[in-house]
Amino acid sequence: MAPGLNVTGRRATLSALAGVLTAVFALSACGANSAQGDADEVLIIGIESEADVLDPQVAGGWVTWRINSQMYEPLVTHDLRTPSEEAPVPELKPGLAESWEVSEDGKEYTFNIRQGVTFHDGTDLNAEAVEYNIRRMWDEDSPQYSAAAAGQTNFVWQFVEDVTATDEYTVVVRMSQPFSPFLRMLAQGGNGSTGIISPAALEEHGEDIAEHPAGTGPFRFDDRVRGERISLVRNNDYWGEAPALDGVIFRPIPDPAGRTSALRNGEVDVIAVPSPDSVQALVDEGYQLSDGQPPHVWYLSFNMRDEYMSIPEVRQAINLAIDREGISDNLLQGTTEPAYDIQAPANDAYVERADAYGRDLDRARELLAEAGFEDGFTTSLMTSVDGSGQIVPAPMAEFIQQNLAEIGITVEIETMEWISYLGRWAEGAGDVGMMQMSWGMDTPYWLYIVTSSDMIAPSGPNVGYYSNPELDEVMDKAITAATEDEATEYWQRANEIATDDAALAPIVNDRAPYILAPGVEGWVSASQEWYDLTGVTVNPEG
Amino acid sequence: MIAMIGRRVMSTLMVLFGVSLVIFLLLQLVPGDPARTILGAGATEDAVAAVRAELGLDQPLPVQFLGYLQGLITGDLGRSLTINQPVTEIIIPRFQNTMVLSAAALVICVVVGIPLGILAARRQYGIFDRIAMFTSLAGASVPVYWLGLMLIGVFALNLGWFPTSGMSNPRNPEGGFGDLLSHLVLPAFAAALVPLAVIARMTRSVMVDTMEQDYIRTLRAAGVPERSIIWKHCLRNAMPPIVTVVGLQIGYLLGGVIFVEVVFSWPGLGYQLYTAITQNDMPLVQAGVLFIALVFVLVNLLADTTVGLLDPRTRRKVTA
Repeated sequence: MAPGLNVTGRRATLSALAGVLTAVFALSACGANSAQGDADEVLIIGIESEADVLDPQVAGGWVTWRINSQMYEPLVTHDLRTPSEEAPVPELKPGLAESWEVSEDGKEYTFNIRQGVTFHDGTDLNAEAVEYNIRRMWDEDSPQYSAAAAGQTNFVWQFVEDVTATDEYTVVVRMSQPFSPFLRMLAQGGNGSTGIISPAALEEHGEDIAEHPAGTGPFRFDDRVRGERISLVRNNDYWGEAPALDGVIFRPIPDPAGRTSALRNGEVDVIAVPSPDSVQALVDEGYQLSDGQPPHVWYLSFNMRDEYMSIPEVRQAINLAIDREGISDNLLQGTTEPAYDIQAPANDAYVERADAYGRDLDRARELLAEAGFEDGFTTSLMTSVDGSGQIVPAPMAEFIQQNLAEIGITVEIETMEWISYLGRWAEGAGDVGMMQMSWGMDTPYWLYIVTSSDMIAPSGPNVGYYSNPELDEVMDKAITAATEDEATEYWQRANEIATDDAALAPIVNDRAPYILAPGVEGWVSASQEWYDLTGVTVNPEG
Repeated sequence: MIAMIGRRVMSTLMVLFGVSLVIFLLLQLVPGDPARTILGAGATEDAVAAVRAELGLDQPLPVQFLGYLQGLITGDLGRSLTINQPVTEIIIPRFQNTMVLSAAALVICVVVGIPLGILAARRQYGIFDRIAMFTSLAGASVPVYWLGLMLIGVFALNLGWFPTSGMSNPRNPEGGFGDLLSHLVLPAFAAALVPLAVIARMTRSVMVDTMEQDYIRTLRAAGVPERSIIWKHCLRNAMPPIVTVVGLQIGYLLGGVIFVEVVFSWPGLGYQLYTAITQNDMPLVQAGVLFIALVFVLVNLLADTTVGLLDPRTRRKVTA
């Protein structure tokens, strides 16, 4: 036994450990100091998932368009500097097209391209560049054609017959039929977008353009480390009002608790999609809540090939049994609004009708009895468990399950992870009773996409196989209407038909909350799923 | 020795082939069509068919698998279906990050776990032994996700010593080694805890066994100092099984690190692989799994070789 020697050994171990720890702290302190010395005003946003490719025409999902839209601009864009309260429907504004004219028959659009704009790689923007981009998304015979870009933007270009650059700054788009939602569709960014890419960069990098983004937007690409960050820096040559920030960094932090911790620890300045139960605590701690009313409907599609769901009374009864207020106020803590109209409020065709499907269990039971199901039945609801803009789909599905149990309908919930679910969803409902989705657009044309007979899955997103000749006819009239007012009128009629027939069950409209550190100013939540960062500033001292 | 290594290399190749085949078959069960995932909801049937043909997805499964193997032999792991980049370009940086985290966790496991086991074995059922073994049992039972959140709560949010997430400070990406180290401490501890506990318990039980051997009693009787008995004679003899357990724990680490990566937003292979699986991105999943399998097999090969070096008996057996 030699206890003395052992003590020395232990001491040596302890002092070695202490040495290592001191070194760690000293080195980490160095890191912290040099970070403070950095005077650049950079905004760091903690986002909910890794982004898709940085090719605006090919990328899917809002998460990615929120990044791409800082670098890329379509011909027509939205005013996203006006908050939802002032502009429930986001105004369209000129993007890379300074102005446009529509022919009297509604079939020809003439775009006057903005002059003096250069892409981030120095290439000049002109009509030829715009034509080159449109052909990439639409013209199968052009060398730059991209099947992926065409697939994502098909809804925009489906009626296009020809595209010509008639002079240096004029592009004419001719269509086979009038398409009243065209301008709003040009401004969309959820499933692909029409953001214009430098043709020189496309020639040089081809399908690898996503690794070398070159657009015209207020921010330029700086760096991407997958899983870690996407950094953008200010475009000092921006044609519009240059952003106040020196740069923006998007950091994917998929775990909601991780996003909250990173915000509390000052590692990010803004977080997207806070978990509903953390919002109030963060506000109490002095963080700012910014939310709006983007065109975002969380809805159920009914399987029209199902023996129960094909009966209108059953669909109406389900709509009447769902406690939308309860989901919004209790489960989701006010981060959503109950949805009674199938169109979101951020849409010209929205009809305010809180009474249409307000909760009425007696009436719901009556309707079920009329349909011959006074004893109820068993059906299934398929939902994702997460995913872009899906809020908290599984607990919401369980809430609906309990609601429907009250009128005797037993719901079996089937869940699937998001991307698998998207694939399954696109195939159509199959043998499932109901399917959940979160979607919407600021153009009423969205209703056509999800309910028209032309869009029945798997050839389109009408996953419930809904087909209603009356609705189809009204929507066709809306699409081919000569004026916007006329179109809106038809779209509202379409809404009524879809609501009366309970084509879908809208559940809630997301308020898309963001939590901002105290030092962030100028953040605007407009009626859209993405944001304009040009007016934002950040003071790290808060 | 060389024969053993040769045999192990052969079995490694077999394992990798088996892994590729199993993953290939499993991915067929994931719903959804990769071509439609790439093209989006608005794609026409023709466009989907064209992309399927381009990716070779319209071929029968055995042909697809053979094509993949052919590429593998020529060193071409293919291109990611969703990111449209060669998979090696995507996997290697992520894999390096995972290795940094795993290596740090392994160092903690070995540097803390083995001495803990030795100290506990020195006084079996003594107070230190009881505390160490109880803590390690508790440690082995803690869910990694919960532990990660606790570490973040205490050491990042409350004490403010370390960042909560990521691998570098994006405000200062050139932070260097110090920055990396400060981001590494918490996730490495979270990843290390369970294997550390296993290693400590294993070390203790092997050491206890060894200390009961006759030759140790003889050494004690001969008056050899206890310190020399433990570190020179006991540990040397106890080392082979400990090294084997450490080797196996590396496999556990590589698996467990995936959860740690999610909690701490560590940009490693785990999260990338998870996304790739859900997106049905076959080449990416294949490459990721191959990398992990390769490391696992190599580490175990290394552990076996080390055991051979440490224990002359195994050497003789192999060459005989």
